[in-house]
Amino acid sequence: MKHWFRLHGLAIARTLKALLRHPVSNGMNLLVIGIAAAFPLGLYMVISSVGGIAQKLPVEPQISVFLKTDAPAEAGQALLKQLQGNPDLQEVRFVPRDQALKDMQAAVGVEDLLGGLDSNPLPDAIVLKARLDAPALQLEALQRQLAGNPAVDSAQLDSAWAQRLQHLLNLGRNVLQATVVLLAAALVLLTGNAIRMQILTRHDEIEVAKLIGATDSFIRRPFFYFALSQGLLGGLIACGIVVGGIVWLNPAVADLAQAYGQQFSLRLPGPLEVGAVCAVTLLLCVLGAWLAVRKHLHKYH
Amino acid sequence: MIQFQQVTKRYAGGFEAVKNLSFEIQSGELLFLAGHSGAGKSTLLKLIAGIEKPTAGAVLVNNQNVARLSRASLPYVRRHFGLIFQDHKILFDRSVYENVKLPLDITGFNGMEAKRRVLAALDKVGLSGKEKLNPISLSGGEQQRLCIARAVVHRPAILLADEPTANLDRDNAHDILELFKSFHQVGVTLVISAHDETLMADYGRRILRLKNGQFTA
Repeated sequence: MKHWFRLHGLAIARTLKALLRHPVSNGMNLLVIGIAAAFPLGLYMVISSVGGIAQKLPVEPQISVFLKTDAPAEAGQALLKQLQGNPDLQEVRFVPRDQALKDMQAAVGVEDLLGGLDSNPLPDAIVLKARLDAPALQLEALQRQLAGNPAVDSAQLDSAWAQRLQHLLNLGRNVLQATVVLLAAALVLLTGNAIRMQILTRHDEIEVAKLIGATDSFIRRPFFYFALSQGLLGGLIACGIVVGGIVWLNPAVADLAQAYGQQFSLRLPGPLEVGAVCAVTLLLCVLGAWLAVRKHLHKYH
Repeated sequence: MIQFQQVTKRYAGGFEAVKNLSFEIQSGELLFLAGHSGAGKSTLLKLIAGIEKPTAGAVLVNNQNVARLSRASLPYVRRHFGLIFQDHKILFDRSVYENVKLPLDITGFNGMEAKRRVLAALDKVGLSGKEKLNPISLSGGEQQRLCIARAVVHRPAILLADEPTANLDRDNAHDILELFKSFHQVGVTLVISAHDETLMADYGRRILRLKNGQFTA
């Protein structure tokens, strides 16, 4: 066992020497690994931050019916009565135009919203909250039917935007998965190539060592430790890049959200996520090293 | 003991470096291989160390057929040998000390014991005090001594030396052979190839003469 530890200790020492012998090229290599891993991690952080907000959004279907400004009040009331009898709706609420203006003033935070306008431009509206089990097709049919009513200016199915956001997030997740696969392949190739170059530059050492009785595992070990260190440090650099990027972007993101009356910021990667990124980059680099070593060490006696 | 049983080595392209050779080398023997360049001396040494595999026949080292060893077990057999190469195979990106220590690193010797052995080997070949130097600063004779120190540092039972006196002046060549003689006196089996027979004659040992891959009288 002592012998085993001694051989591994020696391999680690040789790896450190190899790393320090070419600090610039090894540093560049680490940076490339870090940047490659930072892309999917950054994308993941954006998607998970936005996804967290999206989960809190009400996705219960709601139809907003905006009446024409010149529509007679009786027409609006008739429509309201007609809708109150619909079994697919759990709440039917009439929002008079003056109330709508007050709500808007409160949301925007401007007292004199009308300013130079002659009159309130907002229409009367009817807000319909559908039952959660109401069939989507029936709601869409209702929305079309209401839009065709002569007293109605427009009718919007308000859950649509939340659904669109969910679809966008799903698309983002698919893009993330594709990016992870592509960059994983890139990391394997990158490390494989770095190890191949090391094997070439250490050709004499490997040849002599093999001739005087070195086993394949003795030859392989420093390359695996090298890949291990590259993967681990590359993963940490990726996390550093993403943390730096988020810290830099967050004030601008918060300002943008504030402009929409929201509070939002991108979240930083947690310890578990940092660990997962380091583990994945480490495994990919070791895989690259294993492939390169397997391919190139066979030619030695 | 080393045994060659009807050994032939044919390289790709059909060139036969060694043709149907059969002979024995006893444990503790000092044997010279003589012959011109291309006679088959280096190939014969490589066959003993398992660096080359015979096309036909068997090479037995302590009754073990070297050619039949698996890739995994061959390194352990090679550790019984000390190899001195014609082109030295010195690593110029490390010090004299680190070059000599390499076989001990491979076998996993601990730090203190490895240091003691390396310094003893360097002392034996007359390179004491030069352990920190880069081998590039050594003379040709000193580089050969460094190669010998690396070959003996793990105390092998068999030393195989391929043209160890090539490119050395006569005094240096004699010093190197005296060094080999001292190893032989403590029971090491030595197989030394050279093309200068006058040097070998001074030692009165068995000489096998090769020509075109076959023994001559």
